[in-house]
Amino acid sequence: MESESLDVDVLIVGGGPAGLSAAIRLGQLQAQQGGEPLSIAVLEKAREAGAHMLSGAILDPSTLRDLMPDFREKGAPLASEVKRDRVYFLTHKARIPFPIIPPPLRNHGNVIISLNQFVRWLAEQAEGHGVDFFTGFAGQDVLTDGGRVIGVRTGDRGIGRNGERKAGFEPGVDIHAKVTIFCDGVRGNLTKELLRRFQLGRGRQPEQFAIGLKELWEVPAAASAKVGSLCDPTGQCWLGGPLSRTAPAPRDRLEPGTVMHSLGYPLRHDEFGGGFIYALPEGRLSVGFVAGLDYKDPLFDPHMAFNRFKRHPFVAGLLSGGQMVRYGAKALPEGGWNTIPQPYMDGALIAGDAGGFLNSMRLKGIHLAMRTGMLAAESAFEAIRAGDTSSAGLSRYQDKIDRSAVKAELYPVRNVHQAFGYGLFAGLAFAGLSLATRGRWVEDLHGHAGHERMKTLQWYYGPAFAEASAGKHATPAPSNATTIDRRMTFDKVTNVHFSGTAHDEDQPAHLLVHTDVCSSICGPEYGHPCTRFCPANVYEIVQEPSGPRLQINASNCVHCKTCDIMDPYAVITWVPPEGGGGPQYNGM
Amino acid sequence: MILVIAEQREGKLNRATWEAIVAAQQLAGGDALRIGVLGASAGAATQELAAAGVGEVLDVTDAALEPYTPDGYVLALAQVIGSTKPEVVALAHTYQARDFAPMLAARLNLPLITDVTGISGTGRQATFTRPMFQGKLAAEVKPAGGGPCLVTFQIGAFRADALKKGASPSPVTSTAVTIDRAAIRQTPDAPFQEARQAVDLGQAARIVAVGRGIKSQEHLPVAEKLARAMDAELAASRPICDSGWLPMERQIGSSGQTVAPKLYVALGISGAIQHLVGMKGSRTIVAINKDADAPIFEVADYGIVGDLFEIVPALVAELEK
Repeated sequence: MESESLDVDVLIVGGGPAGLSAAIRLGQLQAQQGGEPLSIAVLEKAREAGAHMLSGAILDPSTLRDLMPDFREKGAPLASEVKRDRVYFLTHKARIPFPIIPPPLRNHGNVIISLNQFVRWLAEQAEGHGVDFFTGFAGQDVLTDGGRVIGVRTGDRGIGRNGERKAGFEPGVDIHAKVTIFCDGVRGNLTKELLRRFQLGRGRQPEQFAIGLKELWEVPAAASAKVGSLCDPTGQCWLGGPLSRTAPAPRDRLEPGTVMHSLGYPLRHDEFGGGFIYALPEGRLSVGFVAGLDYKDPLFDPHMAFNRFKRHPFVAGLLSGGQMVRYGAKALPEGGWNTIPQPYMDGALIAGDAGGFLNSMRLKGIHLAMRTGMLAAESAFEAIRAGDTSSAGLSRYQDKIDRSAVKAELYPVRNVHQAFGYGLFAGLAFAGLSLATRGRWVEDLHGHAGHERMKTLQWYYGPAFAEASAGKHATPAPSNATTIDRRMTFDKVTNVHFSGTAHDEDQPAHLLVHTDVCSSICGPEYGHPCTRFCPANVYEIVQEPSGPRLQINASNCVHCKTCDIMDPYAVITWVPPEGGGGPQYNGM
Repeated sequence: MILVIAEQREGKLNRATWEAIVAAQQLAGGDALRIGVLGASAGAATQELAAAGVGEVLDVTDAALEPYTPDGYVLALAQVIGSTKPEVVALAHTYQARDFAPMLAARLNLPLITDVTGISGTGRQATFTRPMFQGKLAAEVKPAGGGPCLVTFQIGAFRADALKKGASPSPVTSTAVTIDRAAIRQTPDAPFQEARQAVDLGQAARIVAVGRGIKSQEHLPVAEKLARAMDAELAASRPICDSGWLPMERQIGSSGQTVAPKLYVALGISGAIQHLVGMKGSRTIVAINKDADAPIFEVADYGIVGDLFEIVPALVAELEK
């Protein structure tokens, strides 16, 4: 059956902050400048706007203000302004507050949001501009004509488990556009294809990633806590002074607007990452943990690190008696300025997380995604009006980025993430130095792709361990395993349930794995790290009489992309499942 | 003139035909319709259509039209369209129409507009609305060129109860066609009957469910014996069905069935939350598992910590006494 096709002027792939900001900006330019109306379409793989959106999230509202100065009147869902910042260094049992809050982590003027709700609102604004928003359609392939990107093909629907066409089969649709803006998020499947085909990363440093895990909690108010203090139910207070005996009504355990970040435990000094707790109104806490996808220990499990973080007495005190209501996981692009690929080519632009526009030192990317989305929209609009959507015509996008707040923010800290490759203390020292000198370095530091840093069992644990485990078929336990009580700490299967993820079971696996590697060399060399780095129990090693077999529970997938990034052999490819499948991050 | 092609099987009219007639009446703007009925024993359907009085019924009877084949229908309809010269040929968007209409359109080199949900205008000048991209867009389509145009109407888009019946029955005209049997390439088998009664776990009063603790497919009879002794249905948690040891329709949980029997016996099921949501409404839950910390014991009314391969045969022996 031949694909149906649709012609538009601008096609935006991905309905996140970058894609929707691009759509809104195009709508605005259209309204301001008139002329032949442009047709604008946005593709989004989630069933509804915002369903796959996951972030902490703290929004730097600078871009939003530029995009829509009247965002408050338009009802932007901003949960709470940041009222106080806390940064701690955690040890096994204790916590040491940072004497001053490092400037990049000062959130005065920023707001805590639910990215899910924020993006749903952005989608409404975009639709108000007459943008066609196609939810439930994933971009499957980049369409090219010679060296030019001419659009995207959406995935077929109604393909059965073994590749057969089911009764509801519908072939994918070819969407042709003068300019396609790729905003397919961190490790976007189409952007990955563009990077490979057009070598857009040439001369750039390898991309760097981390995985973020997050839970939304509802905690009961501590009965008599002083406003702004932090007390556990036993009455022990962590901050804000002694218990106030006279405080009348129950209050939130943490005042809404409180933002906490931690470094140190449960990570070792050569592992990048840390925890966060953001207090939302109505006793909701956003609790999360970020772990660099460049760890050396093949038995490290990021999900276990999150569990350990929650079991730290300081965090446990905040969560005790509460209930986990949602779970999610997503990779983040951490590499910074020097890892950003050339973001323009014949007929296409790249914006947002897909291009790596995230400030890992400030732990923020939403405003940069929105900014690059806006700049991409302006570049596309001008190029179409000028009748030149070639690489040269679209290269103005790079000029706009270079003159914008994006470069001003990212360039000075371009070496910081790479410095953390030398350990936590080197990273911190370097971060301080970067701030002091505004990043004037003679020579840039060089990073390595994270998955190449993972060591073999033999290297990390010595030949004795490797030999002992070689005979056994069982997957080795995570080195950072901790107690799972299903109250505060959860196994992955339980957590996955709370991600709301759902896929049609009768479809081919959307994780393409060269499984011969799994059954032959991966067990002895790395002990099947996919079973640990996947936060959703997609990968399972099943012992069979013939030996270990990789079982892929594809319907558990939360679309975080970690496997595509971190697999040490780079034999896992994430492709979009049938449109509409995936997590349901309501309120996240 | 609008020609509606009715769909019938052994004289029983497909209800969607009435919807196609309603759409055709709107398209005809008050003019009379013609309705073609194809088959070898379509008498009852022909009479039902004539009684409604919506327009002349063309009785196209030929032995070669039974059973239905796309080649037979295309040969017959090509002649009917050739002799009646309608502006529009209207069909319900049934499986049968989807089967032969594209071939008919290609054979006669006529436009075909499918799955139509709305009409504006009348006759050959009408504009048709049809969904595109899974209903995300509604396209307005006008047939190009001259000659008849084939249109299929989405089922449910036009209401059968909006039918404007005539005051008196319509005439039935016998319309002869010649069909060369040799030109029919398909030989249909007897209609497929669902051979096996599908299990309905939702109706079961007792369920014995097995999980990974059963270890291998050869051990399933252990659980089957218990199910038989208890007069219970056999069900499973996801890994069992994933491995193909039991069919998918016996899977309990968030990606399978949700059940609430009087008695639910879980054998070697750890009780992942995805399984629990499918069975926690059961009246009485009995769990047998080696792992005392398994979450299934949190919802079980009766729990036995132990080896199911020892306990289940003992239960069966006791039940069979």
